[in-house]
Amino acid sequence: MRFEGTLDIAAPRDRVWSFLTDPTQVTTCAPDVQSLDVSDPHHFKVVVRAGVGPIKGTFSMNVQFLELERPKHAAVLARGQAPGSAVQMVSNMDLSEFDDTHTVMEWSSEVTVSGMIQQVGARLMQGAADKITQQLFACIKTKLEASVPI
Amino acid sequence: MAVEIGGIGQSVKRKEDARFIRGRGNYVDDVKLPGMLYLDIARSPYAHARIKSIDTSKALAIPGVLAVITGKDLVPLKLEWMPTLMSDRQMVLPTDTVLYQAQEVAAVVATERYIAADGVAAIEVDYEPLPVVVDPIKALQPGATLVREDREQKDNHIWHWEVGDKAGTDKAFKDAEVVVKQDIYIPRIHVSSIETCGMVASFDKINGKLTVWMTTQAPHAIRTVIALVAGHLGLSEERIRVISPDIGGGFGGKVPVYPGYVLAIGASVLTGHPVKWIEDRSENIQADSFARDYHITAELAAKKDGTMQALRVKTVADHGAFDAAANPSKYPAGLFHIITGSYPFAKSFVEVDGAYTNKPPGGIAYRCSFRVTEAAFTIERLVDVLALEIKKDPAELRMQNFIPPTAFPYTSSLGWEYDSGDYGRALKLAMDKIGYAELRKEQAAKRAKGELMGIGISSFTEIVGAGPSKHFDILGIKMFDSCEIRVHPTGKAMVRLGVKSQGQGHETTFAQIVAEELGLPVGDIAVEEGDTDTAPYGLGTYASRSTPVAGGATAIAARKIREKAKLIAAHLLEASPDDIEWKDYKFQVKGVPAKSKTMQEVAFAAYTNHPQGMEAGLEAVDYYDPPNLTFPFGSYICVVDIDRGTGEVKVRRFVAVDDCGTIINPMIVEGQIHGGLTMGLAPALYEQINYDDDGNIQGGNFMDYLLPTAMETPNWETAKTTTPSPHHPIGAKGVGESATVGAPAAIANAVVDALAHLGVRHIDIPITPWKVQKILKEKGVAE
Amino acid sequence: MAVETAPATTTGTRRMKVHVTVNGQAHEVEVETRTLLVHFLRENLGMTGTHIGCDTTNCGACTVLLNGRPVKSCTVFAVQADGMSVATVEGLEKDGKLDPVQEGFHEEHGLQCGFCTPGMMITAAALLAANPDPSELQIRQAISGNLCRCTGYVNIVKSIQYAARKTRETAGGKAPDGG
Repeated sequence: MRFEGTLDIAAPRDRVWSFLTDPTQVTTCAPDVQSLDVSDPHHFKVVVRAGVGPIKGTFSMNVQFLELERPKHAAVLARGQAPGSAVQMVSNMDLSEFDDTHTVMEWSSEVTVSGMIQQVGARLMQGAADKITQQLFACIKTKLEASVPI
Repeated sequence: MAVEIGGIGQSVKRKEDARFIRGRGNYVDDVKLPGMLYLDIARSPYAHARIKSIDTSKALAIPGVLAVITGKDLVPLKLEWMPTLMSDRQMVLPTDTVLYQAQEVAAVVATERYIAADGVAAIEVDYEPLPVVVDPIKALQPGATLVREDREQKDNHIWHWEVGDKAGTDKAFKDAEVVVKQDIYIPRIHVSSIETCGMVASFDKINGKLTVWMTTQAPHAIRTVIALVAGHLGLSEERIRVISPDIGGGFGGKVPVYPGYVLAIGASVLTGHPVKWIEDRSENIQADSFARDYHITAELAAKKDGTMQALRVKTVADHGAFDAAANPSKYPAGLFHIITGSYPFAKSFVEVDGAYTNKPPGGIAYRCSFRVTEAAFTIERLVDVLALEIKKDPAELRMQNFIPPTAFPYTSSLGWEYDSGDYGRALKLAMDKIGYAELRKEQAAKRAKGELMGIGISSFTEIVGAGPSKHFDILGIKMFDSCEIRVHPTGKAMVRLGVKSQGQGHETTFAQIVAEELGLPVGDIAVEEGDTDTAPYGLGTYASRSTPVAGGATAIAARKIREKAKLIAAHLLEASPDDIEWKDYKFQVKGVPAKSKTMQEVAFAAYTNHPQGMEAGLEAVDYYDPPNLTFPFGSYICVVDIDRGTGEVKVRRFVAVDDCGTIINPMIVEGQIHGGLTMGLAPALYEQINYDDDGNIQGGNFMDYLLPTAMETPNWETAKTTTPSPHHPIGAKGVGESATVGAPAAIANAVVDALAHLGVRHIDIPITPWKVQKILKEKGVAE
Repeated sequence: MAVETAPATTTGTRRMKVHVTVNGQAHEVEVETRTLLVHFLRENLGMTGTHIGCDTTNCGACTVLLNGRPVKSCTVFAVQADGMSVATVEGLEKDGKLDPVQEGFHEEHGLQCGFCTPGMMITAAALLAANPDPSELQIRQAISGNLCRCTGYVNIVKSIQYAARKTRETAGGKAPDGG
């Protein structure tokens, strides 16, 4: 499944970059984070609880920055598992300066889900993904657009 | 008299019902032993992946979790692989690579069922996904993803098998006036008996005795397999007891050995406690052996007038990641070469190639013996394609070509010797019963109004009763079957068999055979099966073999008893044995009906007053090696109406005429046919297990895998002709699977017939509303 | 690996006492709150007549009556049945006399392997309690949530028709209490 979109953020590009590529900051916007373990600047492990339709579970995700071209491009591989299921996500992000105070983020994610979530929840996946994406971006915007960094 | 004793031909009410209607059946999940532990299995979410690591620490930290077993733990025990019934091997648990989604990866043993499931959820496996191949045709192409790295042969080709006269068939096709060709895909389906698979394994460390309660159709063969697989661990065949208690439906799915069984036994040996393993439905559908998955290209050569001459069939068989089918050793494609069906093809040639894919293993039956449905569907579909091609009524075309009754025993061009048959009589009866001529008129009238109605015929020939030992074995064990009868002093009998009922009513029908042969009332005869400590060795119940093989053993064992009883009767009647005859279920002095002895009197004498020099007692055992297979047949006619809005196919009427030779219990036979027809309807219209390109199963539970309910299932109409098998001791042929074999083609033919005037020649099953609606839209007739 | 399970760390193992009357007999048992009613019946009470055939509420093998209404006991927690009455297959026979539904299934060969039979009979009993003279279509609709793999349903329909007839004849038209 491929997801993509564009997000306008009323914040300077450097600040957006710093926020989105810092595991400790960006995961504050992920849903229901149980734990975060940063091993090095390119790798971290995050445990989140999420649900697709009737299946709720703990997703244990290993995240790796594949490409980091400050301050405009990043690529991330996240791979993890939930009970009876596995998830792999390759995401790309490109930041461009609209002006000094506005950044445009173009993003795309290629998500592969295997196992029970795919079988039982396939028809609910789009809705669940949309919901998580909306929450995530709303949170990112709120945090970055706040006059005082949150 | 026959009515009183409940002998052959009587609709005796089932003896086994008494416990089932009271909720007192004893299925494997009902077995509860002191100190019993529970086993649950972690399965792969990926269809193909390298296992980088398995972290069991969180699972082991859960209170109540006693052990986690991974593939690496099985290596020192040499149990990480097990042999399949088809000379392949199958992983019990993987040591480094998983080959299909839902494959077993680790097992958790815990004190409670829920805790075991908690443990499974807490196991963390780090997988590296690998490329996936799910299409067997792509799998056979050069450069395809290799499924089985463990084999020396570095491609996905398992075997090539062929039968028939290739050169002669090719020539017949070259010279033919008419050739029709059709690609037919018979999809992967699953038997889905309402009871899933499971086991309670109990290892007694002190006596070294293993007792297992297990959902198996073949307990004796399983005992031998356990001894072969785990003999090196000290499990010795005389100390292995396999009990197959009440079984909640089998249909072929309970023949193979699944990894869960091996794990439950291993866990019991390891812990010294009884261990229970019961599958969930989703595990059952996703990981247990599938059926079918044949990609067939079939060609038929004929004269312009419709006379059939030659048949040529090429097939790719998708076997998933392991060849774990349950065919007789000699026949990797089962009895697929019954594909010439009810027609006397002078020349024919069939070839099948097996392929590995990243899908669960199997290739077992789905209530049909050894690939016979695939064969019957193909030939009966192809006959209709020919009928369309030469514009001939499909009934007339069949009547014109049938092997005539005078030709039996008939040897087909692919080598089978058909025992008996009268195909025209069965089709004629079906046509009369359904009112074929009137239906054709109705169809023409409806077509004129734009309504879609179709009539489909299937005149199938089955092949069951495997089988004669010269051709049939599984793992080298010849496919005989057995019966042991003990007549007690008070004239009651105990009958033990090597087969095992899964709902077929053996406790009643086998008692009827004995009643008929010995003149004892059916109520005085107890039938016991499924305990290897007490029953004689047999190969089990599948492929409609119980009546043809164990039924033969039962009749002959009873006749052995009667022979001895005759000598005792002569002694009691003070007559020469030559002057004694068996008449009206009694021994009597020829011509003197007043001088007679009943079997009960003789039985008492066998223990109290037997002739000097004769062994006491009245027992016999027979291991019956059938001289040939049996060939049940039938003609089915189906009428469908198609909704032009939704594309839904409604089976309006279905007449099934079956001929299974001598009928032991008409009520039970009719019930078998009803059930078989419903399992023919299911794949024709509803059931399929599909996979996406990543190998994710589509339809891995009852929400997506649609078993017919009472709403879709029509009121089946049945009738019979009786053509006894000339070689079977009571003339019976077996019936459990005929209807499943014959029905799908009748339904598919009816749907195609409804759309034929629009240019439709074939639709692959299952014929779902979506497929039909797509055609209706293409043809511009959708509402 | 059923959908309902979750790690103990997140679900906890909370326990609760439930009071349930099964086939007229009162039981007070402490269970884990996540215990399904079907497991409660089978494991805690040892009443194995109620079967489990799927994990998605499709097959109906686990059908029991909860306060007289048929439910699939694999989709009800035992704690939800607290204070209620449950009727199972074991309670159909009363004072050594088979329920007309049980008699019907035997007489009309409405069962083969017997695995779906308890759920099927309970559904039938509930139908006849509500509608003593159902049409064939009404019977088929009533049992459409109960899957049978052996019989093709024809004889199950006949069995229920037999039971309806028998009930009307013996009770002079009075409907049974359905368990």
